[in-house]
Amino acid sequence: MRISLQPAYLLHRKPFRDSSQLLEVLTAEHGRISLVAKGVRRKARGGNTSALVQPFSPLLVSFSGRGEMKTLTHAELAGAPWMLRGERLFSGLYLNELMIRLLQRYDPHPMVFARYGETLAALASSAAAEPILRRFEMHLLEELGYRLSLEVEADTGEALDPNAWYRLDPDAGLVACAGTIPEIQRYQGSDLLAIAKDDIQGSSATTAKRLLRQALAVHLGDAPLRSRSLFRQYANAGDRQTPTQDESSL
Amino acid sequence: MKFSPALESLIEALRCLPGVGPRSAQRMSLHLLERDREGAETLAQSLTEAVEKIGHCSRCRNFAEETLCEICADPRRDRSTVCVVESPADVLALEQSASYRGVYFVLMGHLSPIDGIGPDDIGLDVFQRQVTDGEVKEVILATNPTVEGEATAYFLTDMLAGTGISLTRIAHGVPLGGELEYVDGSTLAHALSGRVPVDAQR
Repeated sequence: MRISLQPAYLLHRKPFRDSSQLLEVLTAEHGRISLVAKGVRRKARGGNTSALVQPFSPLLVSFSGRGEMKTLTHAELAGAPWMLRGERLFSGLYLNELMIRLLQRYDPHPMVFARYGETLAALASSAAAEPILRRFEMHLLEELGYRLSLEVEADTGEALDPNAWYRLDPDAGLVACAGTIPEIQRYQGSDLLAIAKDDIQGSSATTAKRLLRQALAVHLGDAPLRSRSLFRQYANAGDRQTPTQDESSL
Repeated sequence: MKFSPALESLIEALRCLPGVGPRSAQRMSLHLLERDREGAETLAQSLTEAVEKIGHCSRCRNFAEETLCEICADPRRDRSTVCVVESPADVLALEQSASYRGVYFVLMGHLSPIDGIGPDDIGLDVFQRQVTDGEVKEVILATNPTVEGEATAYFLTDMLAGTGISLTRIAHGVPLGGELEYVDGSTLAHALSGRVPVDAQR
């Protein structure tokens, strides 16, 4: 199999053998794939591929091979790399970890690829980070076949009541619940309706974060997201306050 | 043909070296046994000695035989400037530039959430304690210009914000003797955005 100039983003890489690297790449038409980039750490005359193949850079990659592991034959930049600074860089690392944890290899998701690019562009702008991340998470769940239905109750099909409380049943969706169950497990109807209308700010942003965290947790399994705890440590590194869960935007 | 068990295990052991496959391991073993037994003896001794004696410097985390490495123990080094690097190889590279008189802090890695490497794994907790209760005036961030290196630099920046220590990042740009035509776009973008007035270069 030989694929030429496939649009891609690098998600992760690690050194392999003497001068090679193992790349985890998100491609438009082939989903997440593993590539071995031979000799990229060796300093080639002129440009070297290693400097080019960086996370958050739109790439065009060519690869070939028969097994599960393909060989990178060529890589070039498809556009200017997205410059993520400070907090945004940690959000970007979070996106990459999500992609690695949630997407199966060789399972093409062209829409996720497109959204990933748009999300990076949005993160590189000065727009608020939280809604950007939440929209991406919702889109990702939808693409994976687990769309969150935020307008109707899962069991009755009735529209949500802004004043009622709901809880998330991971297998079904939102189910009405009493206001007496622990606060961390219930969501206000008005916030859920706001999220459905893409109005993610203030209390609905907090709700969206909790809701998506719970929805994603089912698919992430037991191991926690490392980038999330890193982000929390980052947010608390400057001022040694007691870490509160809701300070970070992840 | 099968080799003797001792030779087999020697070949196997040599394969732990980077870039040494079964074939080169076999060639090395045969060379040592056939032509250079003395060299083999020395190699074995120095290996054992190195593994036994070499630990980490208690200040900068670089490899050291004593509690302090040579650089940290040197009274002529300027203790008020600390350069943060990712690996001992980076220290060597900076030392070869012969233009730095301060001390180092070696992270032995970089932040990489996907690999599960957090701030404490690269000694940032130790570093924070060292920097805040010491004589340090300037911290130079010399992590690699990769995404993980940048993340590490941002983390350090945030960690040391408000301590009054001046933080600097080494410049990114075009290598000396390089040709602009062959430099990749992102490096050039960095070089352009980090340009300095001509007077300041002197």
